[in-house]
Amino acid sequence: MSTTDVADGAMEVDAAPPGPHYAAALSLSGHTMALSSLKFSPDGSMLASSGADKLIKLWDAESGAVMRTLTGHTEGISDIAWSGDSEYLASASDDKTIRIWDVQVGTELKTLLGHTNFVFCLNYSPHSNLLVSGGFDETVRVWDVAKARSLKVLPAHSDPVTSVSFNHDGTLIVSCAMDGLIRIWDADSGQCLKTLVDDDNPICSHVRFTPNSKFLLASTQDSTIRLWNYQTSRCVKTYTGHTNRTYCIPACFTNTAGSKYVVSGSEDAKLYIWDLQTRQVVQCLEGHKDVVLAIATHPTKAIIASASMEKDPTIRIWRDESDPSMQ
Amino acid sequence: MNAAFFFNIGHPTTVQTSLVALASFARFDPSGRYVATGRIDGSAAIWDLETRSAIRILDGHVKAVSSLDWSRHSRFVLTTSKDWNVIIWDLANRCIPAQRHSTLRFDAPVVSASFHPRNSQIILALLTTGEAFIVDQRKAHRSRVELCEMLDESDEEAGGSSARVRSAITIARFDPSGKHVYMGTTNGQILVFNTRTKTMVARYKITGAGALKGLEFTQNGRYLVSNSADRTLRQFTVPVHPIPAPDSQFIDQELEPMHRFNDPINKTAWHAMSYSPDGEWLAGGKPTESFCCFFDDSNGALDGGREPLMHLHWHPSKSAIASTTNHGNILIWHRPHPERWGAFAGGFEELDENVEYQEREDEFDIEDEADMIRRKMKEEEQEVDVDTVVVTKPRHGQLHGVVTEDEDLVWAEEDPDEDVEEWIMQPVMEEDWDS
Repeated sequence: MSTTDVADGAMEVDAAPPGPHYAAALSLSGHTMALSSLKFSPDGSMLASSGADKLIKLWDAESGAVMRTLTGHTEGISDIAWSGDSEYLASASDDKTIRIWDVQVGTELKTLLGHTNFVFCLNYSPHSNLLVSGGFDETVRVWDVAKARSLKVLPAHSDPVTSVSFNHDGTLIVSCAMDGLIRIWDADSGQCLKTLVDDDNPICSHVRFTPNSKFLLASTQDSTIRLWNYQTSRCVKTYTGHTNRTYCIPACFTNTAGSKYVVSGSEDAKLYIWDLQTRQVVQCLEGHKDVVLAIATHPTKAIIASASMEKDPTIRIWRDESDPSMQ
Repeated sequence: MNAAFFFNIGHPTTVQTSLVALASFARFDPSGRYVATGRIDGSAAIWDLETRSAIRILDGHVKAVSSLDWSRHSRFVLTTSKDWNVIIWDLANRCIPAQRHSTLRFDAPVVSASFHPRNSQIILALLTTGEAFIVDQRKAHRSRVELCEMLDESDEEAGGSSARVRSAITIARFDPSGKHVYMGTTNGQILVFNTRTKTMVARYKITGAGALKGLEFTQNGRYLVSNSADRTLRQFTVPVHPIPAPDSQFIDQELEPMHRFNDPINKTAWHAMSYSPDGEWLAGGKPTESFCCFFDDSNGALDGGREPLMHLHWHPSKSAIASTTNHGNILIWHRPHPERWGAFAGGFEELDENVEYQEREDEFDIEDEADMIRRKMKEEEQEVDVDTVVVTKPRHGQLHGVVTEDEDLVWAEEDPDEDVEEWIMQPVMEEDWDS
């Protein structure tokens, strides 16, 4: 395991303001197989990574030092999620289980059993008392985390569920699947409230609510990211330029004050950054040598973490030192 | 019930969940996410309504829990007991077993206690001896003051030479703003005290009521309902009281109810009552029968099974009620929405009734593809706001009888407590609870 500073990577060297000026800051190696998910802790101090090598690693978000390795899953891990207090981590694995980890102690606290096939995605509720998960058994499940008990099983889709999450106040759940549908659920009753579908019905690989829960950011495997107004069922923004036809690549918002950006990985081994409003690609980050499958944005600072598949199982940290949040 | 509100949330209709809590009563927290239950064995529990399981066990009393109250952002809970103690719990503390934040000890069993609506460090407590106290735990105001009824000349005349005995207090409540304390007495009076000055500002006689058993306010503080020994619920308009003058004059008059609710046939007593959040509905509970009654223009009754009802409490914002049966089960009532199966199909909208479809002029016109893309692009140029959360309902609406920069409220908000709005209850993971 080593941490090395890398200087190359940013394409826009002679960057003139405005626009983001992300540059490669760190390259973290430790995983031996493809990485599947990256998540910054809500307090911003740690970065968690998971991969096909059945490991979860915790990194110091500032220095990039390995803090802990969590082992226990018997198959590859597809997704991880932090509890709101940054004390617990949940992981979804191909061994059909979800495990809850105590980050401080580094032990496994609970195993949630119930999915009948690979668990592919999961997220905590805003109060961290519930988990929602989806998987290849085509269901969405809601769990009581403290008691490791399944509360609801929603027969949500007719294909593997690729992404599922709560809105900001925990009243809604959004899910999407390889059947190309995005569904919104009432978290309390489990009733389906709405289904969004695009004309061409491409495989939908990731969906999340905007911070105010008024829109949905959805990535589909027609190399397009769309911002939906789900109340009117209209697409209000389209982001294109990257390549995404095969894998489930998530898209993120940057969380710093000032201009808001949308960030996504791509199958051409690059990262793309769009301006949220103008929909233009404002920066393109090169450095990875394989499909950029996992991506995460820091909760308060201008930091992006990205990771790619087998040929290059490293995590890269990109920082925009010109951003006021980095002072 | 009143015409001041146009928004009607309706009353709950069916039981959603029952919690086996072995409790004697249950109260929703101000967010409506949790209920707190008190038991005869002296323990209390906090239940998460999303997971329907007990998330905190508060074990501190050695005799039955008589009442409990939540602080305004749900961080603190107080429990009172016949063991003479009031215990304050800080739910931010995740120790197992739960550790008390502080204890107030009195010299008689405690009937009830409540937090000041603006500051949990000010506590109103009522003892079985009929005495009521305001305990202020703030550093600058640390005190414990008994609220004594003022007796004027007319009382002394009526009482003759031997001074008239003060009537015992049977119920004590802060009004929703916390400016005043309302107290019911054994002889059918409501006494009103100013919380800051601790002086009596009014005494209202309620003719024919007998001993008062309960007092509840609507959330906006405009109306008040009383339960009394004559088995009648009376609804009043809450009078406005000026800031007490130094000459210690108080209002002394009769209060005329707007409405009376009673059961003319069986004449059964009411065990509990609770207002809906908008004040449109009042739920009353009877011990001998197994249902809640709801009043507006039409009265209704709900069948809640065979177990007699002991207590009920309306959800702070939704059409939901927590009722407690004499077996200690908590029934959560709700108003279910019919499932809309059309939601499973994209681009469909279910209608409640048939609507004749109005075709738009250009609806089936064939548009040039380039034009269409250009139009779509044009539409997408509109700015979107993905960050601002629109708060649809202010947490504190305009309260009855409160002015801006109110002296009493400024006083109450001095030295604020740690109960901030952003506080979130974090789950306790270490141990499996046995309920």
